[in-house]
Amino acid sequence: MGRRDKNNKSIALMLQGFDKVVSVLTNAIETINLTKVFEKKAKISSRGFSRFFRRVKPKKERIMAVDHINVGIKEGELFGVLGPNGAGKTTAIRLLCTLLVPDEGTANVNGFDITKEAEKVRASVGVVTGGERGLYWRLTGRENLLFFAGLYNVPDGVARKRAQELIELVELQDRADDPVEKYSRGMKQRLHIVRGLIHDPPILLLDEPTLGLDPASARVIREFIKEKLQKEQGKTILLTTHYMEEADQLCDRMAIIDYGKIIALGTSKELKERISEVEILNINASNVKEDVKIRLKSLNGVKDATLRILDSTTGEAGIIIHTDNAESVMPSVIQELVKAGVEIRVVEEKKPTLEDVFISLTGRKLRD
Amino acid sequence: MFFSYRISVLVTILWPIPILALNIYQYLGLGPPETLAGVIGKEYGIVSLSGMVIIGTIIYLLYNRLLWGTGASMQSERWMGTIDVLFLTPASRMSILLGNGVSSLIEGSWWICGVFILSWFLFGIGITIVSLPALIITLISTMLALISLGVFFASFFILTRAAEQVAISLQAPIRYFAGVAFPVSALPQFLQFISYILPITYGIQALRKTVLTGATLPNLLGELSLLYLFAGVLLFLGYCMLRIMENKAKKDGSLYQY
Repeated sequence: MGRRDKNNKSIALMLQGFDKVVSVLTNAIETINLTKVFEKKAKISSRGFSRFFRRVKPKKERIMAVDHINVGIKEGELFGVLGPNGAGKTTAIRLLCTLLVPDEGTANVNGFDITKEAEKVRASVGVVTGGERGLYWRLTGRENLLFFAGLYNVPDGVARKRAQELIELVELQDRADDPVEKYSRGMKQRLHIVRGLIHDPPILLLDEPTLGLDPASARVIREFIKEKLQKEQGKTILLTTHYMEEADQLCDRMAIIDYGKIIALGTSKELKERISEVEILNINASNVKEDVKIRLKSLNGVKDATLRILDSTTGEAGIIIHTDNAESVMPSVIQELVKAGVEIRVVEEKKPTLEDVFISLTGRKLRD
Repeated sequence: MFFSYRISVLVTILWPIPILALNIYQYLGLGPPETLAGVIGKEYGIVSLSGMVIIGTIIYLLYNRLLWGTGASMQSERWMGTIDVLFLTPASRMSILLGNGVSSLIEGSWWICGVFILSWFLFGIGITIVSLPALIITLISTMLALISLGVFFASFFILTRAAEQVAISLQAPIRYFAGVAFPVSALPQFLQFISYILPITYGIQALRKTVLTGATLPNLLGELSLLYLFAGVLLFLGYCMLRIMENKAKKDGSLYQY
């Protein structure tokens, strides 16, 4: 390598390093090759008593829950992590809030390293896990908030004032002094969210905040997250979800995660444009059998076909065809369906959704 | 809980009575109380049979209450799903455990008094308390040692749900070796060393001396020193184990599994 090449390489490395430093300094959350591996015992193949006599130690299986993730989230951004169950979303959140220790890599949260400055990280984040658990159900909503305020060293007077403000923010003032065991699912979820806010952290990690809620309650929570938390209070928010509509509606940018790896990153528009060369035919039909999927996939011009059985007695199903040219492939698709005895009701060309992006990247539906 | 479910106040005081009755009447089945008291007093220096059993049983039940209140508090946090939100706060783990311990201690204090008074009324105890400060200090020292034991156990409850089964399986042996229903000196010599590595043994002995034989603080120095030694050592070990177990639980992801 000549002297000039060496110099160029050094400059490139310096600029890379400088970039990294700048991104760490400007990003509220920055992950650097963040990795988490879990070990579980593999099944022993032998049966019955022979397994006791073989003296074989079961091997450990390594599961890569989070696989070398590199992501930067800007201050004030609402960043989504979209993926199916078991993709690694919750594990990523647990790593960032120091409930798990990474096996490789690290992350900076609010400028603090998650492995070396764990306590400062914990003071900077509010984590909302949601669900029926995670609250002291014999205490009232207000008592829960004051208890956690105490653990975060929030002074008494400030804690009381803030608890009241947060209770009003989520419209729980009528029930704030009732035991949590009497709350509905939606009320508990709202309490979870304000519990994460009691110490006024700059960063919020929301793990599937609308999971299990009815559509009306979910809408209320989403509006609250977007309008109050992000726009009014300027919080940096990392939100995980497997509801693509939620990611689409709320997130400034998002990462799609599958098997622990980030497979796509960008705004909703950017991600959909990735598959804009893929057109989608949406067909509603009845008398659809399972083998129709294989028949459609074998057609020229069909990139992928998915089947969703809506009613097994009538064979009513939704068929989604991914293709380069919907117009040219439509006749052969219809012909094949007619041959298979399918009764077609509706055929329409559809705009790509995030679910379609996920399907095009993985070949599976988000909820498979 | 006591404000939410008032009936639990009554039940908490009443439920040990059948256990006490069982232990006391097991002895009384062997002969008249005066004869038994004479034998036990001559052999082991204890003058009140029912007093011996009541104090031993109450301290054993207190040990269970403080073990489950402190040590297993981590397990109940895990069941409630609050262990991870607790560990997200800057609050030190020791302060969380000791807080649970202190609340168990406060609950335990009134409960001990209630059960003791009721037992005294039902079964009679030959009380000879000469020094009230000695009694209070002995009681507090015993509770501190038992809380420390709970803190030590807590680290195992963080690591694995199996810790609960281990704690349950230790209940009967501890009851036996601590001399709950009979003096430790009645055990075979080669087994007595086990008794003397249990802090609860010294708590029972010290309280029996204070309540039944009129011992004062100078008479209790041996037992009290050992109780404080246990408290210090177990607290230190508990602190170290807590850090090790928490790190391990964070590495293998078992912290929030219930």
